[in-house]
Amino acid sequence: MQEFLLILKGDGMNHLSPDELQNIMSEYRSWVNQLGEKYLGGQRLEDKGALLKSKTDEIITDGPFLEPKEIIAGYFLIQAKDQHEANQIAISSPHLGLYQIEVRAISFPKMK
Amino acid sequence: MVTNTEQIIDNLFRKEYGKLIASLTRFFGPANIQLAEDIVQETLIAACENWGAAGIPENPTGWLIQVAKRKAINELKRKKVIERHNKKEVLSSKPANEIGSVLLEGEIADNLLRMIFTCCHPAISPKSQVALTLKTLCGFGVKEVAKALLTTESTINKRLYRAKSEIRKGKVVFDIPSGKELMQRLDSVNLTLYLLFNEGYNSSSGEMVIQKEMCLEAIRLTRLLCKQFEDHKKSYALLSLMYFHAARFEARIDDRGTIILFEDQDRAKWDKDLINLGMQFLQKSMDDLPSSFHIEAGIAAEHCLAKNFKETDWQSIYRQYQLLEELKPNPIIKLNLAIIQSKIEGYQTSLKELENLSNNESLINYHLLPATQGIFHMKLGDYESALICLERAKKLNPSGSEYKFIDSKIEECKRNS
Repeated sequence: MQEFLLILKGDGMNHLSPDELQNIMSEYRSWVNQLGEKYLGGQRLEDKGALLKSKTDEIITDGPFLEPKEIIAGYFLIQAKDQHEANQIAISSPHLGLYQIEVRAISFPKMK
Repeated sequence: MVTNTEQIIDNLFRKEYGKLIASLTRFFGPANIQLAEDIVQETLIAACENWGAAGIPENPTGWLIQVAKRKAINELKRKKVIERHNKKEVLSSKPANEIGSVLLEGEIADNLLRMIFTCCHPAISPKSQVALTLKTLCGFGVKEVAKALLTTESTINKRLYRAKSEIRKGKVVFDIPSGKELMQRLDSVNLTLYLLFNEGYNSSSGEMVIQKEMCLEAIRLTRLLCKQFEDHKKSYALLSLMYFHAARFEARIDDRGTIILFEDQDRAKWDKDLINLGMQFLQKSMDDLPSSFHIEAGIAAEHCLAKNFKETDWQSIYRQYQLLEELKPNPIIKLNLAIIQSKIEGYQTSLKELENLSNNESLINYHLLPATQGIFHMKLGDYESALICLERAKKLNPSGSEYKFIDSKIEECKRNS
């Protein structure tokens, strides 16, 4: 098993209605339950924060600094057999469509 | 799978949305409705992510209130920094600890009422009032408001924008008026809620679920008014009227979305509980000076109480429509009078009356006039005249289910002529 970070980009949920959000919540709940042990965690990020480009540059705070579709909205940490299975898991996520999902393997395998 | 213990009530997000917006708007002031909306949106997104991953908390409403509160306080701190920086007041300088008292359970009704008076303020155009009410009080998204009101999202956005800029101009106070002003303002709130209900009830081409939800929301808000202002009998009459109509909601449309004529409706499908509620509130509404709502509720009651279509007391209904016409003269009521005449004096007399009305300027493009003429001609077996009328009605932009209905009648005429 390998760990993967699913990085969610975009502002898809900002435009959903309360009813739509509640539906996504239920679907998300089912998705997590179906994944079982393969789901390790996840968090949403605030839109606002800081962007540091070098030690000397002025700190840009309060964002968002990027185009809405580029904003990192949150991440999931999952485990999967390989990239293919990780991709399949991302495809089955109710978040795909609202957000783009980047599926990236964590490069060091977990030490047993 | 979501287990049963994790189920939360349908539309919980939507129901809490309206309450939270009302509370936060009270805190930040009506000029900052947009800010309140942003905070509540973020709160619901947080709930979506958090509950989705970790399960639904024991007290979902309390969770939402806590998160909204924290976000509001953060926003206040952030704005304070900006204000200090720009040396100007952006937000009302309310102390952050007041947010707690605004969000108290006991304040919810008060917050919602203030919000109703704000959304239905006469400085805002009626169309914008309805859109704003659906968006802020009922928790509909822009897409859903557009669907409910059968228009485009950009139209709705424009209406919302206009409403909010009226509010920002400062004429609209987030308050419940008192004394003489209260009665006047209640009248205009009633009108908006009546409009809201009718939009849901009559625009039969939309999605049934959304239309019905809109009617139920209108009922919910009217109930809130009745509870608070017991002396305002018109609100009771309006509520009674809404219940009578809502009772027939499902019986009006068949499985394929085609309209079922009143006389053909299956009365067993009328909701008896809602009819009873209608009767209850009609009794409570009794007043020395009956309003148009009183009369309309009276007419609806007459229909709901009749055992069947034939045994309806048409004389009484005709008299009530006459009263209504005196109270608010309007060609649609004339049309109704002509239709009821058919039950008393027959289709022939009624058709003459309808023919006279067809010259009325405001009815020239009203599809239900030729549609009615068509139906009456069919009743008399005159399929040729019926066909002409129905074809005319079809060209006058009937709504989806009306179109289907007219089309089916046209087919029937063709088969018979």
